[in-house]
Amino acid sequence: MRARRTRLGLVMALLTFIAATAFAQDLASFEKRTSTRKLANGLTVIISERHDAPVFSYATIVNTGSAQEVPGITGLAHMFEHMAFKGSDRVGTKDWPAEQKALQKVEEAYAAYDKANHVMTGRDDAKVKELEKAWRDAIAEADKYVVDNEFSTIVDRAGGVGMNAFTNADETAYFFSLPSNRFEMWAFLESERFRHPVFRQFYKERDVVFEERRMRTESSPVGRLVEQFLSTAFIAHPYGTGTIGWPSDLHSFSATDATNFFNKYYVPANMVISIVGDVNPNEAWPIIEKYFGRLPNSPLPDTLRTVEPPQNAERIAILREGAQPFYLEGYHRPAVTSPDNATFDVISILMSAGRTSRLYKTLVRDKKIAVQAAGFNGFPGEKYPHLFAFFGVTAQGHSNDEVSAAIAEEVDKLKKEDVPADELQSVKTRVKAGLIRQLDDNSDLALQLAQYQTNFGDWREIFHEVERIDKVTAADVKRVANETFVPSHRTIAKIESTRPTAAPKGGTQ
Amino acid sequence: MRSLREIRWQMADGRWQGGGAVRPSAVRHLLLAASLLLLAAGAFGQATSVNDIKTPPLRSFSMPQPKRVQLSNGMVIFLMEDHDLPLVRGTALIRGGSRDVPANKAGLMGIYSQSWRTGGTTTKTGDDLDQFLESRAARVETSGSTASTSVSMDVLKEDFDTVFPIWVDVLRNPAFRQDKIDLAKTQANTAISRRNDEPGGIIGREAAKLGYGADSPYARQSEYATIASITRDDLVAFHNAYVHPNNIIVSFIGDFDSAKIEKKLRDTFGSWAKGPQAPKATQDITPAKPGTYFIAKDDVTQANISFVSPGVTRDNPDYYALQVLNEVFSNGFSGRLMQELRSRRGLTYGVSGGVGANWDYPGLFRAGMATKSSTTLESVDALRGEIAKLTTAPVTPEELSLAKESILNAFVFTRDTRGKALDQQVLLEFYGFPKDYYEKYPSQIEKVTAADVERVGKKYVHPDQLALLVVGNQKDFEKPLSTLGNVTTIDITIPEPGAAPAKPGAGGGAAMAAPAAGNAEGLALANKVADFVGGKAKVDAVQAVKRSGSMKAVTPQGEMEMEMTTVAQYPNSVKVVMNTPMGSITRVISPQAAFMIGPMGTQDIPSSQRDQASSDMKTELLTVIKNIGNPKYTFSAGATEKVGTVDARVVEVNADGATVKWYVDPATGKLLRTVSHAGGPMPGDAVSEYTEWKTFNGLNLPSATIITRNGEKAGEMHVSNVELNPTIDANEFAKPPAQ
Repeated sequence: MRARRTRLGLVMALLTFIAATAFAQDLASFEKRTSTRKLANGLTVIISERHDAPVFSYATIVNTGSAQEVPGITGLAHMFEHMAFKGSDRVGTKDWPAEQKALQKVEEAYAAYDKANHVMTGRDDAKVKELEKAWRDAIAEADKYVVDNEFSTIVDRAGGVGMNAFTNADETAYFFSLPSNRFEMWAFLESERFRHPVFRQFYKERDVVFEERRMRTESSPVGRLVEQFLSTAFIAHPYGTGTIGWPSDLHSFSATDATNFFNKYYVPANMVISIVGDVNPNEAWPIIEKYFGRLPNSPLPDTLRTVEPPQNAERIAILREGAQPFYLEGYHRPAVTSPDNATFDVISILMSAGRTSRLYKTLVRDKKIAVQAAGFNGFPGEKYPHLFAFFGVTAQGHSNDEVSAAIAEEVDKLKKEDVPADELQSVKTRVKAGLIRQLDDNSDLALQLAQYQTNFGDWREIFHEVERIDKVTAADVKRVANETFVPSHRTIAKIESTRPTAAPKGGTQ
Repeated sequence: MRSLREIRWQMADGRWQGGGAVRPSAVRHLLLAASLLLLAAGAFGQATSVNDIKTPPLRSFSMPQPKRVQLSNGMVIFLMEDHDLPLVRGTALIRGGSRDVPANKAGLMGIYSQSWRTGGTTTKTGDDLDQFLESRAARVETSGSTASTSVSMDVLKEDFDTVFPIWVDVLRNPAFRQDKIDLAKTQANTAISRRNDEPGGIIGREAAKLGYGADSPYARQSEYATIASITRDDLVAFHNAYVHPNNIIVSFIGDFDSAKIEKKLRDTFGSWAKGPQAPKATQDITPAKPGTYFIAKDDVTQANISFVSPGVTRDNPDYYALQVLNEVFSNGFSGRLMQELRSRRGLTYGVSGGVGANWDYPGLFRAGMATKSSTTLESVDALRGEIAKLTTAPVTPEELSLAKESILNAFVFTRDTRGKALDQQVLLEFYGFPKDYYEKYPSQIEKVTAADVERVGKKYVHPDQLALLVVGNQKDFEKPLSTLGNVTTIDITIPEPGAAPAKPGAGGGAAMAAPAAGNAEGLALANKVADFVGGKAKVDAVQAVKRSGSMKAVTPQGEMEMEMTTVAQYPNSVKVVMNTPMGSITRVISPQAAFMIGPMGTQDIPSSQRDQASSDMKTELLTVIKNIGNPKYTFSAGATEKVGTVDARVVEVNADGATVKWYVDPATGKLLRTVSHAGGPMPGDAVSEYTEWKTFNGLNLPSATIITRNGEKAGEMHVSNVELNPTIDANEFAKPPAQ
């Protein structure tokens, strides 16, 4: 399953989703087909009707991401996301009582092996080998009871499409779409995996996750760069650790760690489910109560204590490697719940959206020093104070320094000059139209509703956020730019190519 | 924003009413829910297995189909009303795509489809369009693909009337302005320079080259040279060849009245005359030889593995059985590949494969995955084993039913919106398939038997005919690839900018092509330059020339000005006398001798400098003009590039082995700049900018030249006097006797 959906894509989609003006009516029309309930166990469920075709989409968001990890278990939030497709005590097993015992033995064997393997002094290699074999034998025994991928197979057979999930620093999301006659089957399956998930084939899946790390982070120049960027920009907050996790932890954490993590964070009050499509609420609510009401009530986990301290020195990470140049810089900004959030959204659109955006016009179109350039919010998450980041894909024959200087020039303009009224209006107009276009897709809408409900406690904030965007003034933009884009708050990360290529002779310049 | 508000009201209401006033299924649902509640309250309790849950039949629904109209000029129009949202979206889909581009212009489609929109129309620049459209949250965009190009629009209903004419203007009157062609080229060249950065990009591209042949229009890649060769004329020519009503399918969907929009389209396009029909799909495919191919990439911890061989076309009667086979092989997590290689063995994050089918040319059979370097051979083996099983192991009844049910139950998602229903009809029209193709699709899948699946497995999957490509860091593999047998290494070094295009052959690496043969356009431009100078006849009459003037050289100590006289006797003798503050320096190069006389005495010029000087002589302006028509001199017109405000054409001059690039104003024939690659003690690009021309004795020659070396100014030359055919002393180029 996916990790770390690219933040930029998500944020741009989010931005274009937001609408403006006439909220009373819009909200009212939307509310007419949307209902929300909080079950007795604290789980929030949203249903938004759309009866064009006999299909529905859903998204489950768990308000837990890699920011909830501590050293030693980095990567575990994402690992759990993978395990949520392995079934329960009722899905994916040939004989649960026997499998349960076998899995217990796997954990005992792993604990013994892991302990012997990681002793600081006097490691007994022969003993470690023996314990590893015992652990692997226990896995082989437990595997006998597995019905491979039964959860996914049921969904596939029922005609499910788009089955996937993602984990990022803030949240974990699960989603797919089904024909609407499968609603109850869905309610059973979705509640089942959070009622009693079983971490079967955990250690094989850990290898799979490590392959994901190799693919996304280790074998990709930009993946390597982003990992360095985050760990340089954050010195205290867990946003400094990538969602995929560090290799040592991916090689070590156990199914027991995952169980503990699940018990602490996957509590109903920490989850939101939204359903969009051909669903009749009168029929659906009893089914939802019946299946999701089974999830045991449990207290909400403590909130995260660590706050990133103010940055007082500019930081830089340089990767010197064979890949072509790439430039990133980020400035610390407050959380998404900040009153200035709408202004940050406006800045992002102003700088990045479309061919009239400032960075496109300057860096791509006129100076031709980058082939793509943008500034965006929400990196690597948005729930906690995070980064407003700029990136530039440096054009052939040009340097990161040119890109950096041009971005600085544009940032300086934001700080010194008022945004012209027509430019600001164009941003607001596009935001409005973006909402209408986004309403087209059940799956996107389900995700947006659940995300707003999770972040703000009310999906209606989609509309309220819009109210705020519509009120953003040129003075707001200038003030926020001056407060945010301060060199000592900046972290730069770039790839300086050891094999730069010149622009073609006689080609374009 | 009043209308917006109003329409969003409609949207919500429309949704409520869209399915009809009363839906019988609702009653059924209610009854079912009630019975389940009773069940839950009773002795049986909740469902504890998915099998306990009854699935009601899916309510019947039919998606409206678009209206089809054909104009007398051949244009086909599809109209689909959709009043849910206050939007109108339209597309002109045009036959002719990247597969129709000549091989030496690979990359043209990217430049064309980008600058079509960004280059604006004859009356509006692309930048003006950006401003106009974005301030209305409207989009008019062009794109290109293998088989087609398109011009699309997406607007709020209220802006339809203002944006529609822009869409038509872009479709019919593109300007392909040079600055945006250059911008597209910058992007294309940057993409080339980055194409080996990500292993996923390499495996996808190179596996396609193995499957179709590196020269096939379905796989070939652009190079700096092919991008450089693309001219505005090429783009205009492509547009003229394909954008005719009989090659276009127009489709509109949105909140409109079909009758009104039909009239508007008839009024707009009805009088457009037919043009030549686009050709049928090329079948120019030469699959690679089976075997093992390897590409080295040292900065990765994973190997990418891909098996490839020819696939089928969509009209193949076995297509449906192959869809079921593909589902068994690689459907999500329940297919064999993910089950075995990911879930059971933990070898990979992603693995997929299947027999590919394209509408009008063969797809490829592909199976691929990525795994850590130390399990590369193990994975190759396991993946090959799964492929072989398609031809040997029977498909179990469980597998067959899972595959068929997955396809049939998910079928509703292929047409769950009006947009998808419209797109299907456009696609069928484009490829000439019956319009009830999708209606019949489910029944075709239902008919497929286990025997069919086994039969097509044997027929289309050939484990012994596969090309295997591995991209990775071989030193970390658990054993060498050569344990699989003979390995062909593919060199993916990107041919240098300016170099001749490499022969993109698998296993061959970059072979040097012969020197450019020149092109007619290049020759025409060379003649134009000759005319600008005064005509070839006049230049031919010049046997020798003496120029005097001054030179300002930039030295580490600052600028140094000196008087300078040069005497050139064609074809190959030249003498330069410079009066510097340190004294006079004379430099002579002739077939007899090459020497320098300075304050320190006479010295011979080393042979490397001598070669450079001889090369300089061959590429000197008048020498080149004299040799127009000499087969040893070729002229090849390529890119267009801005010099100051002029869109200069770049002409590659090959002067008997020496090369120079001319930047020519195509309107006047004025030479604006020359660029040559200098060797010797200061290698690099030598650029001469001819900033001023004067007429001297009937010949138009540069009177002011700025010279830069490697991007830094090296000096300025001013010519104040030119003597044609001066009297040349017999000893002019002779070396003075040693003292």
